[in-house]
Amino acid sequence: MKTDFKKIAKDGIISSNPTLKLVLGTCPTLALTTAAMNGIGMGLAVSFVLIFSNVIISLLRKAIPKEVRIPAFILIIATFVTIVRLALDYFLPDIYESLGLYLPLIVVNCIILARAESFASKNGVLASAADGLFMGLGFTLALTLMGAVREILGAGAIFGHKLWDFSIGFFSSSAGAFFTYAMFIALFALITDKISEKTKLKKIKAEEKDFCGETKEIA
Amino acid sequence: MSFIKTTWFKCIVCLLSIAVISGASLSILNNVLAVSPEMRTARAIKKIYGEEKEYSVVLDIDSNDDTKNAPIEYEGVGSVNKVYEVGSDILFQTTGYQGYKNGTITLWIQTSQTDNTYSINKVILEKYEKQTLMSKLSGDFYGGFKLVDATEAYNNGELFTATEKTADNYNPVSGATYSATAAANAVNCVFKYLGVER
Repeated sequence: MKTDFKKIAKDGIISSNPTLKLVLGTCPTLALTTAAMNGIGMGLAVSFVLIFSNVIISLLRKAIPKEVRIPAFILIIATFVTIVRLALDYFLPDIYESLGLYLPLIVVNCIILARAESFASKNGVLASAADGLFMGLGFTLALTLMGAVREILGAGAIFGHKLWDFSIGFFSSSAGAFFTYAMFIALFALITDKISEKTKLKKIKAEEKDFCGETKEIA
Repeated sequence: MSFIKTTWFKCIVCLLSIAVISGASLSILNNVLAVSPEMRTARAIKKIYGEEKEYSVVLDIDSNDDTKNAPIEYEGVGSVNKVYEVGSDILFQTTGYQGYKNGTITLWIQTSQTDNTYSINKVILEKYEKQTLMSKLSGDFYGGFKLVDATEAYNNGELFTATEKTADNYNPVSGATYSATAAANAVNCVFKYLGVER
């Protein structure tokens, strides 16, 4: 069966965006989006784990008995999370410190286990790698955008660079995280609904055109 | 040998194989990417001074040298874990006791010496245990420990407290008194060290 990479990309970033559409991985989304850099750091860490755990799970999908698939997936995911932790502590200690407790908690992140169970364990290696990449990209984009908005409004800065002295402390608080998340979900739903409505209208118009053409030919 | 074909045997072999391969790869990676105590110290110094600096070890609980790795405990107050001489400065890593749920707060404290006077220039949070309201201890809070004549304060019996206000030691934190107490105790360890050990 031919892999539809375009569909996988669209699903990961838009149609099944893990943060804004499926509302998965909410805990790090709310806790770590105080700054855009945190969003990028967490997003990339999750993407790495997603891609490699998806690849390994896809490779071993026929060897892992279905009775122990969940503990096996968690073992594989935990291995890659540990690798990310070791690498970040060694190469990027500042990001490692800012992600803190949420880095080891990637092991129990719903997005990774959900993709392992619903996609990687049923699809080929390339498709699984692509799924991990685009799901990770969707997660990273959502977290970075949320982090940027909260950093600009809550601290008057972007990527740590001060923009102005004006800031609204609410956006740096937990309540501000929920509010920003809700606004992003609403905005994302509004935009995707409008786009799908337009696409539907285009389809209907195209079908009508075809139908009129056919009737003219018959007449 | 019929058990080889049973599901439970396959399950155990599968999980064991993944665990062994993962464990072996992680132990190799851990050797390659392990951050040594020296690297951590160099990072801490860079964080405090903004650049890498030469330092000599006076005390370091992670050191392999048995004459330099015993922490100095001050009962009920805290412990001094690391002392480095960085130029004319003395850099401390201390742990303050009596935090929330008997937890601790570990700080880096940079002191400098002019004649016989030690002053505290910078206080940076390293880590904490069991504290839940650390966000209430902002940069201003740690800044409150600055510019104090530490030796004079020790000689006069003045120590930082989290709840009492004195002329120089005004450093209360509303809503996180236990954590503030642990942080103040970490700074007080430096007072005690400078007063007793030096």
